[in-house]
Amino acid sequence: MIESIRKAVIEMDDEKAIELVSIALKEKTDPVDILEKGLISGMQEVATLFARKEYYVPEVLLCSEAFYAGFDIIKPLIGKSSQQSKTKVVLGVIEGDIHDIGKNIVKVMMEAGGYEVIDLGRDVPIAKFIEVVETEKPDILAISSLMTTTMVHMANIISELEQRKLRDTVKVIVGGAPVNEEFAARIKADGYSPDAPSAVKLVEKIIGG
Amino acid sequence: MVCADHGALLMNMTLTEVAEDGERIARVLRYCYDLYDYDMVLVFTDPYVEAQALGCPVTLDPYPTLRGPASNHSVDRTEQIIKAADILKSEIPVPVFVSIKGPFTLAAFLGGVEHYLKATMKSEAEATHLLQEALHHQLAYLRKLLSLSVDIMIGDPLASSSVISPGAFCKYALPGLQTMVDMAKAKNVRVGVHICGEVAPILKHLDDLSADILSIEDIDVETETIRMGGVGTDTILNGDVERIRSEVKNALGNRPIILSTACDVPPQTDPASIKTMVSTARENDPDHGVQE
Ligand code: B12
Repeated sequence: MIESIRKAVIEMDDEKAIELVSIALKEKTDPVDILEKGLISGMQEVATLFARKEYYVPEVLLCSEAFYAGFDIIKPLIGKSSQQSKTKVVLGVIEGDIHDIGKNIVKVMMEAGGYEVIDLGRDVPIAKFIEVVETEKPDILAISSLMTTTMVHMANIISELEQRKLRDTVKVIVGGAPVNEEFAARIKADGYSPDAPSAVKLVEKIIGG
Repeated sequence: MVCADHGALLMNMTLTEVAEDGERIARVLRYCYDLYDYDMVLVFTDPYVEAQALGCPVTLDPYPTLRGPASNHSVDRTEQIIKAADILKSEIPVPVFVSIKGPFTLAAFLGGVEHYLKATMKSEAEATHLLQEALHHQLAYLRKLLSLSVDIMIGDPLASSSVISPGAFCKYALPGLQTMVDMAKAKNVRVGVHICGEVAPILKHLDDLSADILSIEDIDVETETIRMGGVGTDTILNGDVERIRSEVKNALGNRPIILSTACDVPPQTDPASIKTMVSTARENDPDHGVQE
């Protein structure tokens, strides 16, 4: 059953995901197993297919729908102690930039990776990022930018965090097509990764130590 | 490719003031042409002209933003683009290209980008329906542009392999591009196709369109069609003189090439950088064409 749930995610079948998760729950399968070995494991495979260019954006969007369809049923059943609530990530696309396809893929991979994600959307003002770091106290602030004209604002967020003495409270990671390792180092971000699957690994690494 | 947003900034106008008025579009593009002295002009304000004409809400300042899928409220700026093209064609001695969206990208704007991308896989009927509506509109618009004998640049950013698979490209994007290229060629104007991001998996298909120009990010590839590009948008915005000069020289070593930035010149670009690009090209290749 769990294997079929995993397959429903990979095969982009949201209706099947709902149906199978409901049956599995009726059969008293552990919701944590459904989540981790079914839904999340499915999304991990999707990440691999995407990285290998076997899946493109539409495929990933549909797999995400299937993942969320199942996840929404499971979510209320999982206790606070599960991995889900361990690490909080605030994610958004920088001010001036409306490219959000990549950010949305990062979001689903992070959620599938077991992190709680607060999605601020696209074209997010610098002040909003700062405000949410203050109020939500996330472990990770993940900023996306697809344009050379907007990526410079990432540095402004970091210096604003420094000025407000918030810089030590949160790790900042950056990404998006024009961003690279060197840029991330220059603006004193804590990490960069080139795609969504590796973004999850990056967070694991940073949080892990 | 210097666009009206860069010109508007140089002339202290908002994009809204410029993009809704054909005479002003012509004036800012003329200003840039006089300032930089390149060898072709592109009439382009923002990617959403046709989407807005078909009912999508769009705001232009501080930067062009598509605010949602098509509704009933249409604002038609295509007549302003036509007016600008007509003025520039009569005033400027170099080729005047007009930017028009490929039907696939337009269909995605009409349906909402993510919704449409999903529909290409799950609701073929819906995807095809919107695509036909987009194509229908674009052919009528293209016909009007062709009656001015301007050259055509078809931009189809969402058809990029950064977004859709080569299979989806062949099914949804390629046929409409071919129809538009053929229509332009039948009128004996020049026609280019611009797709940014990854194109390696679909390069052969793009080449087989038999357009006159392929404007792509990575020009270090082999194609029958003349390539256009060579200077990265990051280079023109942030690069120092050396970096700009080196990309220009590299591009000129990769002929046949129409030297240009890989995509639109970011509006805030320092005019000195664009001048460096043009002058480096002239020094290294005095007889040939240049365009930013
Ligand atoms: C699709 C696209 C669009 C779509 C966007 C639809 C949408 N809702 O997002 C449309 C057509 C609307 C569009 C509009 C514009 N675009 Co555009 N667009 C693209 C294109 C072709 C692909 C982007 C994409 O979605 N890729 C697919 C996703 C999956 O990849 P991704 O975003 O890179 O994300 C991955 C990684 O980067 C990473 N990642 C992303 N974010 C993060 C964050 C973190 C923290 C981490 C760790 C990782 C990470 O993980 C993601 C998944 O693996 C790129 C070309 C390119 N080279 O990227 C141009 C590009 C980004 N666009 C560009 C431009 C210029 C524009 C416009 C300004 C055009 C205009 N003149 O108006 C407008 C933008 C308006 C604005 N203010 O934002 C330029 C930017 C140039 C520059 N200055 O740097 C590009 C680079 C094209 C080019 N060659 O010049 N565009």
